Amino acid sequence: MATVATTAPSAQRGLPKWVKSPTFARILFPFVVLGIWYFIYYTLDSRIFPSPQQVAVFMWEEITLTSGVRYSSVAENIYVQFGITLMRLTVGFFIALVLGTIIGLAMGISKKVDAFFHDWVMAVLAMPALVYALFLGLALGFTSRGPILAVVIAGTPFVIINIREGVRNTPRELIDMARSFEVPQNKVTRHVLLPSLMPFFFAAIRYAYAVGWKGLVITEVFASDRGMGWTIKFWYDAHRAHGVIGYAIFFIIFALALEKLVFDPLANRAFKWRPRIDAVGLAEGDMTAVASEAVLLLENQEVEQGVDTTVAKGGNF
Amino acid sequence: MATTLEQQAPGPRSAEEARLLALRKKEIRDRWIWRIAGYVFFLLAWALVSQIVGPNLIPGPVRIAQTIPQLIESGRFFSSFGATLTRIGIGFGLAFVLGIVIGVLTQSRWLDGFFKDAVTISLVSPSLIWALTGIVIWGFEPQGWIFAIVMTTFAVVTVNVAEGIRALPKDLTDMSRAFGVTNWRRQRDIVFPFLAPFVFTALRFGFSVGWKVTLLTEVFSSNEGIGFEMRVASQLFRMDELFAWAISFFIFALVLEKLVLQRSERKFFRWRAEAVT
Repeated sequence: MATVATTAPSAQRGLPKWVKSPTFARILFPFVVLGIWYFIYYTLDSRIFPSPQQVAVFMWEEITLTSGVRYSSVAENIYVQFGITLMRLTVGFFIALVLGTIIGLAMGISKKVDAFFHDWVMAVLAMPALVYALFLGLALGFTSRGPILAVVIAGTPFVIINIREGVRNTPRELIDMARSFEVPQNKVTRHVLLPSLMPFFFAAIRYAYAVGWKGLVITEVFASDRGMGWTIKFWYDAHRAHGVIGYAIFFIIFALALEKLVFDPLANRAFKWRPRIDAVGLAEGDMTAVASEAVLLLENQEVEQGVDTTVAKGGNF
Repeated sequence: MATTLEQQAPGPRSAEEARLLALRKKEIRDRWIWRIAGYVFFLLAWALVSQIVGPNLIPGPVRIAQTIPQLIESGRFFSSFGATLTRIGIGFGLAFVLGIVIGVLTQSRWLDGFFKDAVTISLVSPSLIWALTGIVIWGFEPQGWIFAIVMTTFAVVTVNVAEGIRALPKDLTDMSRAFGVTNWRRQRDIVFPFLAPFVFTALRFGFSVGWKVTLLTEVFSSNEGIGFEMRVASQLFRMDELFAWAISFFIFALVLEKLVLQRSERKFFRWRAEAVT
């Protein structure tokens, strides 16, 4: 990476080469954030704004379960809370996956079904999580049903759009050829339809999980008495800024871990056989944007260049 | 189908062409019929569910449609819209500018590396954590909600602008370097014109994220605006008002997003075919 700088005349400015490498910049970034944090800490006239050490101590106590003595009003420890959220997310996600695959397949195959559902899918896709969070809290009470339903509402449209796009992108010539050579239907499904559907299916999973999670934590604030969303709201209500910031960092770690440890390796394994996906902008109308992003997303994973566009650019909360 | 059309010489319409045209017309008509059928089905299903569950818990479409004029009469409607739009204007405006600046800066590989993790974190984290963090630090001061909106939205803008940077015609930038054109002139004459359509897309995507997080910040740190009104309605168990606020602003945002922004995007960049697709 650092070798690129050799042609530039600015290389004579006297800085060592390793300072100019993007990797150094990347490592520098958290220290700059820490510096800004200290700056705010010393300039902001606030009693509750914590220093980085305070937050670090809080997070350490949460992880090692040593702070439960002092704040016993939080019913469950962090592992249980995150586990509850993960359970709700997984249940809702599978419902969304099944529901979305059925509707998406139907919309991809039939234009009539597509016209029937299109506008309503787009409407649900664009609905803010806040609306159904408030509604579900009142309608279903503080059980797990509300949060699970929130994941279904948030995730299903993404599954539908990607599956629909996948069906539309299946190469027609291959199916026609298979027909004319009298290849049995189950072989066509296995060797033509499924492989071409795979990347879209995978994008659907990834989007639905990410978006479902974002909708879920907001719903847990208004429609639940446990879970990650409720826990960060607890510290907010208690006016403990170190708790809010500590949990915000836990959220970020959780999201990054999901992306880097679960979805990236899965994507690499699923698409090893496929050099490049070359289907962009085939559909007309509103869904193009989201679906072509799905394709772009897959391309980026394979080529590994530029900014990480690991999550949907539109339609998240 | 397409090949047969191309092979036909322009001239008197053949029977085949007329048949295709009729087929296309039928297709469009079918599409509209099924679309309307979808509207009828979902609205009826909604009304039915509302009747079964009880109109106080799930108000039907008719009742919500009747509530909106009541809200307008009460005088809170337009002031709430004004308050929310002001917040969007300030918060999203700042996020948009910051997002573009960072996106343009990613031309440098060093700065690209520097901002990489910031963009990733902003994309994967839910808006809730920024809303709560900003408000717990700054209270009802504007910095709180500005922080929340900026942190949630800037990366959406940056990613779209960075995509434009990546697609930048390399021959033009190389040539400008070879002829010793200054950096500022290169930015002004090559980069910015090329980025324009990408900035527009960034505006559209950013707005779709931005208005949602704005409503969320209003729930926690405001005494006016759509988000605040929605929370009050839900606390008073006025479901019809909750839905009326939500749906009226939802429709407003969708119209702005789809009709105004998307249309003008197509209009501005019609001369550039590759930018529109």
